[in-house]
Amino acid sequence: MKRRFLGAGCWVLGLSAALFAQSFSQRGFLETDFIGYPQTVPNDSGQEIGEALFRYEAFYKLNSDWQFAGGIDARADTHEQVDRAWELSWDDRERRRPSFEVRQLNATYAKKKLTVVLGKQFIRWGKADILNPTDRFAPQDYLSVVDSEFLAITAARATYGGQSNTIDLVWVPLFTPSRIPLLDQRWSNVPAGIALGELPPSFPGGSQFGARWNHIGSVAEYSLSFYDGHNNLPLFNFQETRPLAVEIERYYPQMRMYGGDAAIPLKGVTVKAEAAYFTSTTKTEDEYALYVVQLERQAGEWFFIGGYAGQVVTEHRSIFDFAPDRGLTSAFLGRAGYTIDTNRSVALETALRQNGKGEWAKLEYSQALGAHWRATAALTLIRGDESDFLGQYRRNSHAMLALRYSF
Amino acid sequence: MNKISGAGSQPAAASQAALLLTCLFSLTGTMHADDARQIVAESQRRGRADSQRYEGSLEVFGANNKVSKKHWQSDRLGSYGASKAIIRFTEPAEVKGVALLVVNHPDRSSDQWMWTPAIGRDRRIAQQDRSTRFFGTDFSFEDLEERDVDQFDFSMQGEESIDGAPCWRIESKPKQGKSSQYTSSRVWIRKDNYVPVQYENYVKDKLVRRLVERDIQNVQGIWTARQLEMTDLGRKSRTILKLENVRYNVPMKDDDFTVQALRRQM
Repeated sequence: MKRRFLGAGCWVLGLSAALFAQSFSQRGFLETDFIGYPQTVPNDSGQEIGEALFRYEAFYKLNSDWQFAGGIDARADTHEQVDRAWELSWDDRERRRPSFEVRQLNATYAKKKLTVVLGKQFIRWGKADILNPTDRFAPQDYLSVVDSEFLAITAARATYGGQSNTIDLVWVPLFTPSRIPLLDQRWSNVPAGIALGELPPSFPGGSQFGARWNHIGSVAEYSLSFYDGHNNLPLFNFQETRPLAVEIERYYPQMRMYGGDAAIPLKGVTVKAEAAYFTSTTKTEDEYALYVVQLERQAGEWFFIGGYAGQVVTEHRSIFDFAPDRGLTSAFLGRAGYTIDTNRSVALETALRQNGKGEWAKLEYSQALGAHWRATAALTLIRGDESDFLGQYRRNSHAMLALRYSF
Repeated sequence: MNKISGAGSQPAAASQAALLLTCLFSLTGTMHADDARQIVAESQRRGRADSQRYEGSLEVFGANNKVSKKHWQSDRLGSYGASKAIIRFTEPAEVKGVALLVVNHPDRSSDQWMWTPAIGRDRRIAQQDRSTRFFGTDFSFEDLEERDVDQFDFSMQGEESIDGAPCWRIESKPKQGKSSQYTSSRVWIRKDNYVPVQYENYVKDKLVRRLVERDIQNVQGIWTARQLEMTDLGRKSRTILKLENVRYNVPMKDDDFTVQALRRQM
């Protein structure tokens, strides 16, 4: 479903001209990417992809209580991952990335210990860095599974509290799903010879709700969280319409989450832990727990994060799903970075499945070129068995070059 | 209770004094010049303000003398020991919106959180990570905090002139149980106006960072260094911070100095 919010977009773009500098700020960038895949896959012979993204965000502070934020993304690409229709999207329910999208548009009211944010916004929960089981209001764009990006949601959020204790209440009237790989492209991993079609998805009605209590102490930070709504990752129904021809339908199971997270600085390292237990009234959805334990340390120009993600399935029901969060469990996760100088840095991220059947690693070098330009080169290596979540993408190792102009 | 910015005569104090800009004073004190602790306390007392706001212009000179420019806005509520500060980058474009919240405590080291809008997350800066450089500058995270004068032991090291101005040279060391990346620091405080003009910070016996304060001007009755130069002697790099549009006693709210407020974009 597409909705046009041209008026909103004009408001965002026109804001800068009308307001004074000291209560107005803006930022954005234009980025062009080139991605090369050495291997083809059965359902996608494309090996080179070009992408372009223009992002503009503006912020206006009306007075000490009210603040407004708006942002828009405009995209184009060579591989039809971006919709060719020139329409402005609000709800991010499109199968492809929209060519124009309201990235955020919200109003913030802050008075004493109360902060209320209304509108399209980003909400992030959790303290871990690589996998966040409690991050239930953060759907992602998984068109290229291992290079995902967060999507904003339409929500009302109220946060009350001071520095030590805060209560966060979130109400979401409009469901935003994660965007999953396109069936005719390499990240869907469809076997050769099977004709797959898609039926219109079944988006859940009703609203979603979440609450989180966060405590900041002198020794540690920790929180408890609750979510009642739907999983933003789908399950699938299959219908065989003729031999080797299948229609699939996405649907989004009910989900209830009980979670918690903590960050404890110790003498040598900071320990972070995050866990959540998920139940569902949908008969085809699993009930399970996800957990992450990680250690992190910065030393000089280096930073290190290393940990383990696991899951415990208490009731197995699902047959066909797409679950990158669970796909990264039973795995050792790591991230390391080194700042070479003020303009250059290098980073390595990796996930190694405990059983050795899947491996993902990304090496990235980034260099600023003057005050506005930045060039980034990355190599992503994926290995493993067909049966493994990571291993199934073993033909999708790739190299990426990006050039960004920020303003 | 007398409090000292940073570690008194150490980099924390120095850079903090620099960054939070509160340590420069007039010439009306009547105290014993040989009392190192009192000199530091008096130096800081003269820089007290309810709040402070400035726009910082930074130039980072790398070892190869390449220059990187950044700008930030700094808001600080309170002075010394119990103060709170938010530093928010305004330039270059790719770091615009990155912000640091520093909540200082009189009896222990500060709490610090960094907000990175690109990933929509805040991250607490752990104590053991405070020696890390702050966002590509030559200031470390610890250099941005204030500490109470009671967290350090001071000793008078002698007298010396800096740029022709007679100064006391005072050494500070963290008291037992107080953590710091620096083993000791030295501060040069001018005798004529109690303005600290130079800090040197040591790890064991090795000088690792030096802060020099220049262009001292009277702003709303508070002597304020308008230019601070921090040199990282290990990296052979330096950062010059120029303070522009400095204002004291600007109305600010305590609720604007929380992690929740840090997430707001401006």
